[in-house]
Amino acid sequence: MATNISFILNGDEISYEVKDHWTLSHLLREEMGLIGTKEGCGNGECGACTVIVDKLAVNSCLYLAIEVEGKIVETIEGLASTSGALHPIQQSFVKNGGIQCGFCSPGMIMSSKALLDKNPDANHEEIKHALAGNICRCTGYVQILESVEAVKNMGGQNE
Amino acid sequence: MSKSNSDFSVVGKRIPKLDAAQKAMGRAEYIQDIKLPGMLYGRILYSKYAHANIVKIDTSKAVALSGVHAVLTGEDVPEKMKMGFIKDNPPIKKGKVCSFRDEVAAVAAISPEIAKKALDLIEIEYEEQIGIFDPEKAMEKDSPLVHGHLKSNVLKMPWDIHYGDVEKAEKESAFVVEDRFTTQWVTHCCLGTSGAIALFDANDNLTIHTNTQIPSLAQKDFLESLKAMGLENKRVRVIKPIIGGGFGSKLDTYAYEHIAILLAHKCRKPVKIAFDRVEEFKATSTRQPTIIYIKQGCDKNGKLTFRDMRMVLDNGAHTSWGATTPSVMLMPISSLYRVENVKYVAKCVYTNNTYSQAMRGYGNPQATFAIESSMDMLAEKAGIDRIEIRRINRNQSGDETPQGLKITTCGLEECIDAVEKELKFDGKNEKGVGTGIASLIHVGGGARIYGSDGCGAILKMDDYGKVDVFTGGTDMGQGLDNIIAQIVAEELGLLAEDINVVHSDTDICPWDVGAHASRSTFVAGNAALGAAKKVKQKIQKFASKLFDVPAEKIEFKDKLVFVPGDQEKSMPLGKLLRKAHFSPGGTMLMAEYFYDPDNQNMGKELKGNMSMTYSFGAHGAKVKVDEETGKVEVLEYVAAHDVGRAINPLLLEGQVYGGVVMGLGYALTEEVTVKDGEIMNANFRDYKLFTAKDAVKIKAPIIETDDKDGPFGAKGIGEPGCVPTAPAIANAIYDAVGVRIKDLPITPEKVLVALKKKND
Amino acid sequence: MRLPRFEYIEPINFEGALDLLYIHKDNAKVLAGGTDLLVRMKKGLLKPKIIISLKALKELSYIKKDDSYIKIGARTSIADIIASDLIKKEACALFEACEKIGAVTIQHYRGTIGGNILQDNRCIHYNQSAFHRSGRQPCHKDGGKICYARDASDRCNSTCQSDGATALMALGANITLVRKGTERIIDLDNFYTTDGIMPFAMESNELLKEIVIPIQGGKSSYKRLAYRSAIDYPIVSAGVFLKSSDTSKNEIEDARIVVGAIARAPIFLAKASSFLKGKKFNDISAFKKAADISMDNASTFAVHNVGSTLEYRCAMVSEMVFQALKEAAIVTQE
Repeated sequence: MATNISFILNGDEISYEVKDHWTLSHLLREEMGLIGTKEGCGNGECGACTVIVDKLAVNSCLYLAIEVEGKIVETIEGLASTSGALHPIQQSFVKNGGIQCGFCSPGMIMSSKALLDKNPDANHEEIKHALAGNICRCTGYVQILESVEAVKNMGGQNE
Repeated sequence: MSKSNSDFSVVGKRIPKLDAAQKAMGRAEYIQDIKLPGMLYGRILYSKYAHANIVKIDTSKAVALSGVHAVLTGEDVPEKMKMGFIKDNPPIKKGKVCSFRDEVAAVAAISPEIAKKALDLIEIEYEEQIGIFDPEKAMEKDSPLVHGHLKSNVLKMPWDIHYGDVEKAEKESAFVVEDRFTTQWVTHCCLGTSGAIALFDANDNLTIHTNTQIPSLAQKDFLESLKAMGLENKRVRVIKPIIGGGFGSKLDTYAYEHIAILLAHKCRKPVKIAFDRVEEFKATSTRQPTIIYIKQGCDKNGKLTFRDMRMVLDNGAHTSWGATTPSVMLMPISSLYRVENVKYVAKCVYTNNTYSQAMRGYGNPQATFAIESSMDMLAEKAGIDRIEIRRINRNQSGDETPQGLKITTCGLEECIDAVEKELKFDGKNEKGVGTGIASLIHVGGGARIYGSDGCGAILKMDDYGKVDVFTGGTDMGQGLDNIIAQIVAEELGLLAEDINVVHSDTDICPWDVGAHASRSTFVAGNAALGAAKKVKQKIQKFASKLFDVPAEKIEFKDKLVFVPGDQEKSMPLGKLLRKAHFSPGGTMLMAEYFYDPDNQNMGKELKGNMSMTYSFGAHGAKVKVDEETGKVEVLEYVAAHDVGRAINPLLLEGQVYGGVVMGLGYALTEEVTVKDGEIMNANFRDYKLFTAKDAVKIKAPIIETDDKDGPFGAKGIGEPGCVPTAPAIANAIYDAVGVRIKDLPITPEKVLVALKKKND
Repeated sequence: MRLPRFEYIEPINFEGALDLLYIHKDNAKVLAGGTDLLVRMKKGLLKPKIIISLKALKELSYIKKDDSYIKIGARTSIADIIASDLIKKEACALFEACEKIGAVTIQHYRGTIGGNILQDNRCIHYNQSAFHRSGRQPCHKDGGKICYARDASDRCNSTCQSDGATALMALGANITLVRKGTERIIDLDNFYTTDGIMPFAMESNELLKEIVIPIQGGKSSYKRLAYRSAIDYPIVSAGVFLKSSDTSKNEIEDARIVVGAIARAPIFLAKASSFLKGKKFNDISAFKKAADISMDNASTFAVHNVGSTLEYRCAMVSEMVFQALKEAAIVTQE
């Protein structure tokens, strides 16, 4: 079965014919070529596929594509400004060593964005809590947490 | 005179990773993201038994399935196509399987779904055999054999080493401790799973995009496979895409790569095999598990007299680099602290379990867990403070160890001091809280595992003062590209961003033995530095004519080539290069350099200076033990390392933090649970990596000893972060609640059982 | 990782969902947050032909106070429960349980309370990949006659690891199950079957509508043990409820102790609970004793499965119950 859905993707109105069994990560990666959203496990255990749907960070591997009908979806591709300038959260991850192999980074950054959009003044425990579903094997989280700490209070919005 | 960091303009600076922006934007392409025109999807069928004969395979239904282009079984694999350094592992097994991860068939199809469906249609009749899963039992005379054609399950390996006279030293020791330790299977858990895409051109030359840490050696393995397939004199191009972590997992070639080659050749189309997470857990290799017997002693003053260690290594059903980890375990065994009399015997034993590979530390974490736990036990027995015993026996610059390791620079004492400064070791912590310390030695200046320990670099200047560096080294997220850029920029008076580092494509990049043994900064760094020096000389030579001064008077800084003190004689590097290129009879400014360190292979005697220099470190942990549940919480962690020089402290700290947390997982939570040869926790819910919520406060003091052989004094630091973590934690737990856990991981349950036993 | 194919239907109201369930019965599965269902489907544990999505059924998402009851719509997200002051005040155990479920990204926003208490039992064998399971005779839960978690066991030893269920049972909650034309209310005590294969008494054409927690003026607490601070399922958990007597504030009039993640269902421990009646709120030794009785009683039902050894998990029953009792008592006294 296929259904035509409409949703907002990174600010653009999108209309797409999706199959019932597609996950959102499948739609983004395999069908639309938005490879920035990674898939590290497919079972909602690693968070590499985190995107923001209606302001909430969710795992796109456990979200049916058909269910984003009428919703606002943000992916890593939508963070940088149209002129190409990195979002402050992206800048902070770059500057503070929050990125090594980079596979967890898009998901990690999306989780951070969802947090800071809602709670720009998040404390250290709140940051740890918000990133608990995003696994990183390279950094030991230290510089990731520093990256989020460094950008809070300035980073919810694009400059 | 050694230089200080203020003498440098690029080296020593916290320059963000050059590829971080594209990764932050989601633009980095990993193997999962690459699709080639006409590409097919390959998938592998694994054994359903730990040990069985394959009686019959019927692939007819799979072959008949629409969309399937090829189905392979062991029958289709050329006899000589085998993996591993002793070539005991064909990529698809024929007639017999010896472990659950043994490949029995593979397919290529037009979609992943059809490939999966095709696997389900392959019918195999097995005849189950008795499996053997305990390496110590597998050593017994009447044990069933994993490989029937061999006489014994014990591999022929050379690990029987004796330096000095251990028996005599033991007799003369004032205090001796003896114990048994075990370490578990853990696995790399690279966030980006494994994968490869193989394709042949019209002339049967192979291009393979694959997740590897060893492009040049993988090229050799693949060439051998082509030869086995009857494809003589062909070319192999290995391209490594951006990889989602390495940690040693990609130091050998895997069956999936060779199977992708076979399928691509059969189908005449590109074939991609990409692992899912379960497959990643089950079909990639683990850190070598060990059973360790250690005995060591000291005299009445606490000076170490001897160390006697024996190990049994579960080799699994096939042989990869796990079996050679004793070559690196030997280093801490013979050379962590001054100890003259050393004995080490290790046996690798075939079982029907999974087989092991390289993993960050390469045997060192296992050996150091036993040694450093035992050091605390010895200190207690001798009545000496645990920091003091380490100071008494510390390695020092200028030492040559029984193994023949030449310690050129050693900052171990400063590392111990740094840990002591941060944490309290007076035993006066609140109830349930304790501190522990453990030290490390690791290769820091390459490691001569193969005949060569070399790496090449080619450096090419453009018209605008920018540089392309083609390195043999491999960046896998650790930031080698930055290190090379900073080294070259420093030498040529440029900025890091002026340097474009090209790596991991064997058609373009020079030869190298791979990203292992914490060698890349040191070896690839020295190669790049050598090339930069050569090109600098060429530029100096050209400029000397232009400026009419001797070449050695010409300096490079801030993108300028100039003669100090003479304002007339100064020119932007780009302009100079254009002059060189555009002048009649012009010259191209380019240089190559091959750096092969002057370190030694261990010969038959198993002695030799395997690395040009050694990294040292001391880790300290403060833990809180919940005596009701046995749960251990890490309150503070200090990881001090002698790194020679920090080329980039930001990245260096990243390596240390990442290593420490990997080490904490090893110490406390991580274990591949195996039941009769089968992995039972092949997912991130049941395999317990630390989460951000478990993150620990870590301090990483950097000790700089300016090693004479390192590029700008640097030593390698990729692995040390996870080496002494487990014993630091074990020692802290003992300090906190008086129980010593000798089996990793230190689960709450083990702590609680030990506490009960102690209190009974 | 891809999902097996199915037909997706999104009823626009509750009645529509009931109609669909009535028609499709076993062929259909209800999708709320998907964090349990979709994982099971990816593992090949379920292959429903029809997915009935509750996406449009916003009317099933609410937390409200109605007389002396808290009523929670089945589709209410875990995040909404955590954010509710009413729950924090009157049903703290549920707040504490929800807070510990999974990790923010998935479970809290997408996961629902209905999905949490209806999550299938877990088992170290059954939750393996389809390929793993296909290599051998099916286990009890897969329709066979073998248990791989425990040799020679004649019944399924899967374990209920729902945090929400344990907490809600301690709170004495009941649930409303609806099918076309009829609805029934069942206490959670009776809803869980202690049958690992079919862990709860629910028909395939029934839909969980509402969870009702009585407000009894007592205090509750939930404690669980897991190796990590996030993602993990509990390896043992305890939910307790304590109510003081009207005449003497320092006397326990009613107590409910429930342990979870130890057996095929959350277990209400009647003996340990009644032992506390009449005891004082500051009687730590009584709590210790109740915790030990809990351990003895729970051990009878305990199954050797997920996460750790049976011995350890049983020993920890006592500790979790003790911690939960202490916390509930302290809150009561404040």
